[in-house]
Amino acid sequence: MNQAFLKSLRNIYPAERLLTRDVELLPYESDALTAFSAVPGAVVLPVNEAEIIDTVRLCHKLAVPFVARGSGTSLSGGSLPIPDGLTIGLNRLNRIKRIDPEQRIAVVEPGVINLAITEAAQPYGLYYAPDPSSQSICTIGGNIAFNSGGAHCLKYGMTSNHVLGMRVVLADGAVTQFGSESIEGVGIGPDLIGLFVGSEGLFGIALEITVRLMPQPELYRTVLAAYDDLGRAGDAVSMVVASGLLPGAMEIMDLLAIKAAEASVQAGYPDAEALLIIELEGEAPQVEAEFDQLRGIIDQSGAFETRVANDEEERTRIWKGRKGAFSAVGRLSPDYVVQDGVVPRSRLGEALVEISALKAKYQLDVANVFHAGDGNLHPLILYDGREAGALEKAEALAGEILALCIRLGGSITGEHGIGMEKRDYLPAMFSEEEIEIMQMLRLAIDPNEIANRGKMFPGGEAPALAQHGMHPLERAGVISRE
Amino acid sequence: MTVCAPASVDELQTLVRVSERIHAIGKGSKTALHRRVNGAVLADLSALSGIIEYQPSEYTVTVRAGTPVRDLSAALRERGQYLPCDPLLPDSATLGGTVAGNLSGSRRYRYGGVRDFILGAEVVDGMGRAFRVGGKVVKNSAGFDLSKFLVGSLGAYAIMTELTFKVFPDVPRFRSLAVDYTSLEDALAAIYFINQNIFELDALDLIPLAGRWRLLTRLAGFDETLPRRVERFSAAMTHHTSLLHLAELDESATLWDPLADLTGAYLVKVALSPKQVPAFDHAITAAQRRYGVGANVAWVADEDLSQLVDALKACSLTGLCLRGAVQSAIIGAPLENVLAARVKQVLDPLGKLV
Ligand SMILES: Cc1cc2nc3c(=O)[nH]c(=O)nc-3n(C[C@H](O)[C@H](O)[C@H](O)COP(=O)(O)OP(=O)(O)OC[C@H]3O[C@@H](n4cnc5c(N)ncnc54)[C@H](O)[C@@H]3O)c2cc1C
Repeated sequence: MNQAFLKSLRNIYPAERLLTRDVELLPYESDALTAFSAVPGAVVLPVNEAEIIDTVRLCHKLAVPFVARGSGTSLSGGSLPIPDGLTIGLNRLNRIKRIDPEQRIAVVEPGVINLAITEAAQPYGLYYAPDPSSQSICTIGGNIAFNSGGAHCLKYGMTSNHVLGMRVVLADGAVTQFGSESIEGVGIGPDLIGLFVGSEGLFGIALEITVRLMPQPELYRTVLAAYDDLGRAGDAVSMVVASGLLPGAMEIMDLLAIKAAEASVQAGYPDAEALLIIELEGEAPQVEAEFDQLRGIIDQSGAFETRVANDEEERTRIWKGRKGAFSAVGRLSPDYVVQDGVVPRSRLGEALVEISALKAKYQLDVANVFHAGDGNLHPLILYDGREAGALEKAEALAGEILALCIRLGGSITGEHGIGMEKRDYLPAMFSEEEIEIMQMLRLAIDPNEIANRGKMFPGGEAPALAQHGMHPLERAGVISRE
Repeated sequence: MTVCAPASVDELQTLVRVSERIHAIGKGSKTALHRRVNGAVLADLSALSGIIEYQPSEYTVTVRAGTPVRDLSAALRERGQYLPCDPLLPDSATLGGTVAGNLSGSRRYRYGGVRDFILGAEVVDGMGRAFRVGGKVVKNSAGFDLSKFLVGSLGAYAIMTELTFKVFPDVPRFRSLAVDYTSLEDALAAIYFINQNIFELDALDLIPLAGRWRLLTRLAGFDETLPRRVERFSAAMTHHTSLLHLAELDESATLWDPLADLTGAYLVKVALSPKQVPAFDHAITAAQRRYGVGANVAWVADEDLSQLVDALKACSLTGLCLRGAVQSAIIGAPLENVLAARVKQVLDPLGKLV
């Protein structure tokens, strides 16, 4: 690494927060897309905003590329280090600075864990709505980078819809803030929050974030319906949507995903080809009435078994299997690729049929878990990395699924982002001119292209694909897949 | 002033290329936004109108930017759907104008504003380039989300030609209640109570009346559940807030039009938080005002603007002037932002779009 740069870093950080030795760097070499790994030149662990700003300014001055890192749970290689670049670990900026229950807002540092906001808001009857399955470990900064979503984003939206204000340091060192404590967010002038959220760490680093909190629903009604055919579960979703009901969540798992969830958390799911989870939430009288209507629809949808959660414990059990599905698949297969694509909701059935054809063509197992309510598919492609060419085959299958999503009029990512993984698919979704404009925007903000260099845009040097393995944080015992 | 009405995106691109300065208008419903800039060509987008694609089962709709809100609302209503960001001027605005101004009405309280329902757009930028931003499906995180950036952009970065929104099923019935308080403090305390409670109101506005402050509230849902919900809500407000009076109101056409009583020559939108309301309300002298969206937006009308400008500056707030003769529609605390400036540099480096 550039010695002048390291020397300047030492002026900002004490030795214990500036990591440069191989053994210290190892836990940072991948994110949750473990197929890619790269060793950073150094890792710094700032504890306050001023240190982050000084670091970014230094990187800008010496044109050293950097990656901001929350918990490293990105599934697209978003927080993969840049070889010989700097990784800025934000986990220590984990203070919830303020909760204002009267105005229903929280002001937090970027390294705050998603679920910690809800835990802090709970005493006031409030919660933070976006709920990625990784919510017990991922950070709000990472959520912002990808506009992360979760099972409960149908009614109130994803991360972007819950950020009201932020202060950021842009990649060239400029510090700026936008938004407010009003529910209107930016309110007057262009919606800069909407632009920054989802920018995959390419614009700069979020330093402080004001999020809106929601009142905890008075009542949940959670239904689990079992089908002997995946298509039928998909049709049930269409029926619910057509009825005019607006559930808080609609999720589908297929046979393989169910098996995995059973093996890992013993959710007690029925033996089925497909499971549909629908959850209604809101004021009790309204939810009860909606639930009557929902039951009628489910009864007609051909479900061979229906279960209703009668209390919070049963509700938790239903969700446990779904929320743990990604990691559960790890039990069925030494390796897997988590895909993330979107199709128009009305074409969900078609997409599933094609995915099973692809499964046969590639002779690979695919477990399907998806946010059915918004057409967001998460096919999990199982492979054994010890077999020569297996990863490449899995990647090829993943590529065909993405092509399918585009063909059906959807998107190549609903919530995991482009990152490193899907760089080469960006041109399938946007024209050359559209990508060029995005690139110009990036350059206008980051003339040295130091922020998350090599991500999102096609081309550039890709680090070697590793064959298989555990997440480095798993290996280091920091995270586990339970 | 030259007015041109391009009939196609191609014509609009050419118009941008040959113009030195250009300003887009939908139907001109917000007169103050169309300030006369020396030599600027007015691009009247009303010919770029019509619904392009509406799939009720998909809950998404794509329209040309000059489409009147009225037309879209009618098409949605036929299928029991609506645009939950509730465009502010349902009878006179276009969707392009609604997005450019970021203008939502009271029902925005329930599910979110324009930014929460826009999915994508086709635009022509200041270089005359036509391109797409965002997507057409309800979930998409590919690329930078310039479609949200367009919300509130006042046509200064790119001219929208096509817009895609997500829509929701509409609810069958409404009931509106007026809950009155003697002071602003009591009324705000009632809002804080509601904020931490289980009631899912469809709308919540705060209105000053002679000697009282009124919380105008609305519940929406199924016919059979509304009586019970109204009863529970009324009981909670009676027990937990120091109200003066509570009464049910008829759902008249103007009850939920936040601008209905704001007749002053100048009309201004301010985004503020409920806790900024007391200081702001104290600083302004305008009698005509209404605080919408749970007291997160102020609508103010007055015969004179200078006092309001001073009040905004004193409170570090920015306003958007929708009606009246102004040099710039943005008033009060300045809006300049380095990130916005970088976008301008890319989309409109020659500063054509005004
Ligand atoms: C088991 C599992 C389940 C998951 N489930 C979901 C799910 O349901 N929905 C979903 O959307 N995602 C899901 N994910 C993906 C992942 O958890 C999210 O993308 C999450 O937001 C990443 O957060 P992080 O803190 O780990 O970020 P990291 O992986 O550390 O970083 C992600 C990106 O954010 C950038 N970044 C981090 N902090 C900042 C900051 N302060 N400012 C600017 N940029 C920053 C990084 O540079 C990087 O590009 C899942 C992942 C796993 C492993």
